[in-house]
Amino acid sequence: MREELVWQEEAVSERLNALHHTLGFIGALWVLLIASLRGLLSGRIELKETLHQMAFIGATSVPIVALTSAFTGAVVTLYSASLLVDVGGGSFVGGAISLAMARELAPILTGIMVTARCGSAIAAQLGTMKITEQIDALRALAVSPVQYLVVPRLLAGLVMFPILGTVANFAGVMGGWVVASAFGITLNTFLRSIQLLTEPFDFVGGLIKTLVFALIVVLVSCQQGLGSRGGAVGVGHATTRAVVLSMVLIFVANYFLAEALFAER
Amino acid sequence: MNEMPAIWVRNLVYQVEGKTILKGVSLRVEQGEVVGIMGASGSGKTTLLRCISGLIRPTSGEVWIEGSDIAHLPEHEKMKVRLRLGIVFQYSALFDFLTVYENVAFGLERHRRLLRKEIDRIVSERLAWVGLDGTQKLYPSQLSGGMRKRVGLARALAIDPHIVLFDEPTSGLDPVNAYQIDQLITRLNRELGLTAVVVSHDVVSLMRTTDKIAMMEAGEIIAEGTPEAIRQSEHPKVQAFLKMASSEHLE
Ligand SMILES: Nc1ncnc2c1ncn2[C@@H]1O[C@H](COP(=O)(O)OP(=O)(O)O)[C@@H](O)[C@H]1O
Ligand SMILES: [Mg+2]
Repeated sequence: MREELVWQEEAVSERLNALHHTLGFIGALWVLLIASLRGLLSGRIELKETLHQMAFIGATSVPIVALTSAFTGAVVTLYSASLLVDVGGGSFVGGAISLAMARELAPILTGIMVTARCGSAIAAQLGTMKITEQIDALRALAVSPVQYLVVPRLLAGLVMFPILGTVANFAGVMGGWVVASAFGITLNTFLRSIQLLTEPFDFVGGLIKTLVFALIVVLVSCQQGLGSRGGAVGVGHATTRAVVLSMVLIFVANYFLAEALFAER
Repeated sequence: MNEMPAIWVRNLVYQVEGKTILKGVSLRVEQGEVVGIMGASGSGKTTLLRCISGLIRPTSGEVWIEGSDIAHLPEHEKMKVRLRLGIVFQYSALFDFLTVYENVAFGLERHRRLLRKEIDRIVSERLAWVGLDGTQKLYPSQLSGGMRKRVGLARALAIDPHIVLFDEPTSGLDPVNAYQIDQLITRLNRELGLTAVVVSHDVVSLMRTTDKIAMMEAGEIIAEGTPEAIRQSEHPKVQAFLKMASSEHLE
């Protein structure tokens, strides 16, 4: 496995075209995935760095994830309640919002918000380390940048994303409840409808989605950071690409995950 | 000498973006030798060191470090070779999110099983070597450029490498500190038998620290010999470089 593909130490002799770039990106991402999974299983985890990243990716993201989810839950309920209450379907409002949150909105909002907050920060930090030769200094001290930088971020992402997804679920449903009550729907009706229309698997499936999103955000951001070159401008480009590519991949993955997890239900 | 050479670079070529930066460089460094590489900025000195340490992969050629060809090893095998190699970067490359202590202790904490007290002792000793004991708690951003450079040196020396690659160890230092670094290189070589490759355009410093000097020009080694032989060299480019370097010193 060619770890060096990630930080592109090899002399690149010719201008690469778009196809080469895309293949190179997929190749580097794949190499990084395998290398960091191997690193995860090796047991030599950088504990301090991992805890630090857990706090950064997880704890400090809670407010923004909760806030955006609550308002999203509220607005979706605004539309669905104004439709459903008119046709006498007020008792479905709770179920509709909790289903939408569990399967789609909570995972997607978690992915998007953490990409914006942490994906960009990861790419910028690793990119700065790359152009100031700190990545080379790690390698010179016989420490793998994957083991020291990528594995802790990946581990932190895999632990914190499902937790953030759960927070998003709660906040979204709470936001929905506030609006629903304004439409005269009682708490009892709201909760019963949730119980009736959503199954535990809707939540579990949503959390499985967040795990895949964690993988996407962390790996893409690390790959872009480690592969950046050419000074401050290069780091800027890497940061932008990390955010855009992560978001695009999250939306694409979301579709296929929905097919795989929920299409039969 | 029939011993295995510490470093044996053979026919190294490095090309990037259509430019040939190293054009077939060969260099042999014996165990316990201090070899200087001098040459103008842009002549490929840093690129040569980066190939020797396996940080970049040459287009062709071999780099034997104590019997292993680091240019053709996978990354995890390179790591084993690098445990015997110390690298002092031209622009220090300190970890800016870690303190001086954590920078110097970085390799020790990951490659040695040592008690905290022992690590403390080694860190403070290495920092004393470069005249910076007591700065343990500071961050790199709180240090001057010259101090950063010396911390980089202490970090490279912490894991007791057999071979140290110095990329311009004295550039940007004041004459007193530069002299002390030269003295340190000589002492490490005499007392611990350390092998060193010192890249520099500081001719005076190279003349007083090295056993052998290789002169680089546009990606090639154009002259090689003892400091005395280099000084006497009739090669016009070597002469021109020495002349300019010494007039720079007089200014
Ligand atoms: N990654 C790279 N891409 C393009 N040019 C490079 C790269 N690395 C080095 N160079 C070029 O190679 C030449 C030698 O650089 P370097 O080895 O840093 O020289 P020195 O250390 O002797 O000043 C310079 O002209 C530099 O611009
Ligand atoms: Mg240089």
